[in-house]
Amino acid sequence: MGADLKVIGNADQDAQVECQIRDLTVIFTTDSGDFPALNHVNLDIIKNKITAIVGESGSGKSTLGLAILNGVAFPGKVTEGSVEFAEHGNVLKLRGKALRHFRGPVVGTVFQASQNAMNPLARVGKQILDLGRSHHYKDPRKLLHEAENLARRMAMDPSRVLTAYPHQLSGGMRQRMGIIMALVLKPKVLLLDEPTTALDLLTQSAVLEIIRSIHRERHLTTILITHDMGVVAEVSDYIVVMYAGRVVEQGSTHDTLRDPRHPYTRAILRAIPRLTGDLNRARPLEGSPPDLTQIPATGCVFRSRCSYRAPQCDLVAPLLESVDTGHFVACHQEGLIRD
Amino acid sequence: MSKFLKRIGKRIVAGLVMILAVSSFTFFLVHFMPGNPVQTKLNTLIEEGIPPLQAQAQVRSMYGFIPHQPLYIQYLHYVWQVLHLNLGKSISYSGVPVMHLLLKAMPWTVIMVLTGLAVSFIIGISAGVIASVKRNSKLGDGLLLLSTFLHGIPQFIMALGLAYIFTTIFKIFPFGAPYNAAISPGFTIPFIGSLARHAVLPIAAYAISGFGAWALAMRASVTSVLGDDYILAAELRGVTPSIRLRYIARNAMLPLFTILTLSVGFMFGGSIFIETIFDYPGLGYTINTALAARDYPLMDGAFLMITAAVIIATIVADLLYTVLDPRIQRI
Repeated sequence: MGADLKVIGNADQDAQVECQIRDLTVIFTTDSGDFPALNHVNLDIIKNKITAIVGESGSGKSTLGLAILNGVAFPGKVTEGSVEFAEHGNVLKLRGKALRHFRGPVVGTVFQASQNAMNPLARVGKQILDLGRSHHYKDPRKLLHEAENLARRMAMDPSRVLTAYPHQLSGGMRQRMGIIMALVLKPKVLLLDEPTTALDLLTQSAVLEIIRSIHRERHLTTILITHDMGVVAEVSDYIVVMYAGRVVEQGSTHDTLRDPRHPYTRAILRAIPRLTGDLNRARPLEGSPPDLTQIPATGCVFRSRCSYRAPQCDLVAPLLESVDTGHFVACHQEGLIRD
Repeated sequence: MSKFLKRIGKRIVAGLVMILAVSSFTFFLVHFMPGNPVQTKLNTLIEEGIPPLQAQAQVRSMYGFIPHQPLYIQYLHYVWQVLHLNLGKSISYSGVPVMHLLLKAMPWTVIMVLTGLAVSFIIGISAGVIASVKRNSKLGDGLLLLSTFLHGIPQFIMALGLAYIFTTIFKIFPFGAPYNAAISPGFTIPFIGSLARHAVLPIAAYAISGFGAWALAMRASVTSVLGDDYILAAELRGVTPSIRLRYIARNAMLPLFTILTLSVGFMFGGSIFIETIFDYPGLGYTINTALAARDYPLMDGAFLMITAAVIIATIVADLLYTVLDPRIQRI
């Protein structure tokens, strides 16, 4: 199956696709109507690379993460599209045991609320053993040994953290435990949803460093969901910018950050204060984050906050089009945007 | 560990003080009750031709204090008697010590209510889990409706209804009395069988009327736990449904354990309605008799026992919690 996943327009000739998302649409059904949290998302996650998915709250980035695990739950529903994994086929078709053994051993996940991602009534080591039992690990000692090694790597005392209850660990330790629980089953894909949100800057950079070195060492494919452009710039190879459930720009991190083409990407990059130079040069993003209930049915979803708005933007939704090798932008005015 | 023992010690001392406070309250309640039952009893005895001194001695043995002494002396005397576990003597069962009556009634209640409680707890929490997990299906709706309905029926209507259906319309179970009087008591198969047959309806009445509350409480608790991050996390880590259910059940059951422990405490009040309707000679039946006959010493004794049981249950619940929930420090 893996060989079927074609790479489209990538500057790197050796790039292979680990996960191919096509036309993915997720609708949230509420009392006041149906709202698309994801709208025809097309995306290739490149093997052995770190892909960052960026966006404000409400952009659909966490829903995308859940959809990759086939974990979109009521009131959300996948209405269209596919998530193809090399060797595993369309994940959205997986059910029961096959789905259960996909989550964990194939894709390890670190959750947005990693602080509370462990059962408060069981010791951490016990929960790792529960993971092993769930995925038919023959040798529980080996699993614990692996967890101990990872804990040591993350500068924690294994004998202490594995025998502790979650409440006895600090926030940063719990976050690192979350990463250990994602890695202990040796998955080939690591899905991180805001892995450093609750951490102070020093712990944050330490955790990112660990993620990056383990990514390299284990030849992982890493998907990093974040709103933090600094984190993106620091660790990712590819970047996917999302707005109101759509991919608006996508490309290698290097190209995209150096030469952002979508007005939204440009705006969020401009909003970052620089360490050197005038603080006033940072421009806050005008308007409010996308509200799923207010998204217009036709036209560009970003137009109400866009300074390049043209009559065409009200009528037709722009398609994601290639502007350079491996660099895609969904904007009618793309050609006009220059500094 | 010594800290832990110290804490238990503190709780027990506090409990004893509370029991003493409640028994004092009971004393004054009896004393200020309209009609002054103590004086009335003394007068009745004197009118019956019993010499005043002997009458005083009788009243003293019943109530544990002498009416003509100043209030504080009476009070101290009463407390002294309570501290010696002397609850006085019953009026309606003339001369029988209250303690004796309560101890005789206790096993009936313990067997009936404890079984009923266990049955309603186990069935109730199981139904609560199913009602919560399947809350978007017909099964969940049905269980919710059933538990709300059963929760709304008062115990005495449930008892009367069961009695009417199963003893009058369908003569499946015997009505009234704790066992068949024709069988001589003893550790024999016919006698135990008769005991069980007579206990079925009271236990069922207790269990069915308790079921709704457990199911509703568990449903609410499970629903809240299901929304917790660690349950979703476990699902997305591919943890098996059975292990996940264990996570859910343990976390959801935590708040219910307090209610369960307190229920075991309140059990010593028996179930007045059920025991009275089925002529079941437990504590509830005894309290009802005492109320009807204005048997104040017996009432005092029964209330004191309920107080003590509930306070002990509170202490047990507190200690149990430190074992069940690691987040509560064992200081």
